[in-house]
Amino acid sequence: MSRVGAAGPGTLFAWDDGVLVKATVTRCALSRVCGACGGSLARPVAFVGTAEEVGRNAFHAPPLHTACAEDVRRLLDPTWETVLTGGFEFVRPAKHDEDRRPTFVPNSLL
Amino acid sequence: MAIADVKEYCHLTPEEVEQIGAELDAIRAEIEESRGDKDAAYINRVITTQRWMAAAARIGMIVSSPMDKKVRGPVLAASTISLGLAKILENMEIGHNVMHGQWDWMNDPEIHSSTWEWDTGQPAEQWKHSHNYIHHQFTNVLGYDNDIGYGVLRMAREQKWHPVNLGQPLYNALLAGLFQWGVALHDLDLEAIRKGKKDPKEMKRQLKQIAKKGRNQILKDYVLYPALSGKQWKSTLKANATANFMRNVWSYLIIFCGHFPDGALHFTEDELEDETRAEWYLRQVLGTANFEGSRLLHVMSGSLGYQIEHHLFPDLPSNRYPEIAVKVRALCDKYDIPYTTGPLHQQYGQVLRVIHKLSLPNKMTSDDKPPTGVDITVEHGRRKAEERQQRRLELGGWSRSAS
Repeated sequence: MSRVGAAGPGTLFAWDDGVLVKATVTRCALSRVCGACGGSLARPVAFVGTAEEVGRNAFHAPPLHTACAEDVRRLLDPTWETVLTGGFEFVRPAKHDEDRRPTFVPNSLL
Repeated sequence: MAIADVKEYCHLTPEEVEQIGAELDAIRAEIEESRGDKDAAYINRVITTQRWMAAAARIGMIVSSPMDKKVRGPVLAASTISLGLAKILENMEIGHNVMHGQWDWMNDPEIHSSTWEWDTGQPAEQWKHSHNYIHHQFTNVLGYDNDIGYGVLRMAREQKWHPVNLGQPLYNALLAGLFQWGVALHDLDLEAIRKGKKDPKEMKRQLKQIAKKGRNQILKDYVLYPALSGKQWKSTLKANATANFMRNVWSYLIIFCGHFPDGALHFTEDELEDETRAEWYLRQVLGTANFEGSRLLHVMSGSLGYQIEHHLFPDLPSNRYPEIAVKVRALCDKYDIPYTTGPLHQQYGQVLRVIHKLSLPNKMTSDDKPPTGVDITVEHGRRKAEERQQRRLELGGWSRSAS
């Protein structure tokens, strides 16, 4: 499913030069497409993030295919960790949030 | 007029909007925490029922074919109704809600948004884009939400009138009868194609996908199952066509009742990027309409009689909407926010009135939308060209390429 392969970070669907594009992140969340290749998600869904994000179970990066998750880590940050889940909640930012990026909360970790 | 100008819509202070958001967050958290076996049992029960209804209908059509005409007639009629209801149940309460990810938390390999393919002309992948993203993210925002008239009907006074709109009553009847094919073309974005803004490569890919799905649907209902009925193939073909027609008209009716009764507002928006969660919630409440009815009516409507609750929490299990609705309505009463609801026949009557009135220029008809608050009336006239926002390009040119 993944079409990222050995290509560079510029080929990642929801990232622009390694920076997440908010509108595309929302599109990935609701259309249920992979943030790396743009194809329909599969089960389980993968999320990548820092140890802190894994610890609080809330991620900024959009859902991914498991194979695409490995590509994203390789291309953007090999220190990121991967978690697998059946589903997730998409949380829009509130007015009082300092970080105005939406987050993903896996709801059935595997 | 932007949703950020909330006072124009419902006399709320920004602090009150945020407070409403916090209270809705609490409702959501409560459902998420209590989601469990009872909910899983519900969706499994609905799927089992639907499959038995569909199987009984298909078997009924086949086994009745050699029977005497007097017996065959009633069996065929019962099978047709059973198939029509099974298709309605599959599309509305099962397919639509599964593809929203309402049941993904169960981690069931079959009942999952990434694997479900439904019994209708539109490929699931395209539905998840046109409905889950475009419609739910840009609900009732003119120029963004393609559900406003499905590209063929003028449904808001802010939309420009054209003589072609005179035919709306006819287009409406055709859309209802052929709804699954109208929906199948939905993600193509007909308006973008008309204006030459659609990415040809993406259009070709989508058309190929639609042709494949459409072919399979036609083969199943109009070739394979009729062939299994032998000499009575024509009866089975007619029965399947009738079942599809039942599903089409019902789905159309339910969907149109969700956003076009008088109380549901349309929005013109210059900037959606900075909309907060609370503002997004508020737009969902103001832009949608519920209808009242029995539990069975709600199940057969895909729980879209709770359209307001569905738009607030599209990925929470549909069987929980009745209890959520009680809380949301109390919240709307507390803050004096419009909560549009009424019997199904009343809501659809208002939809029909909109369709017929808007087939004429604005100056020939009156606006039926009620005030949104005490002493507040939003004008629903057409804005001047320089006042309107640019159409969101990604709707017509959505592609898989990197951003």
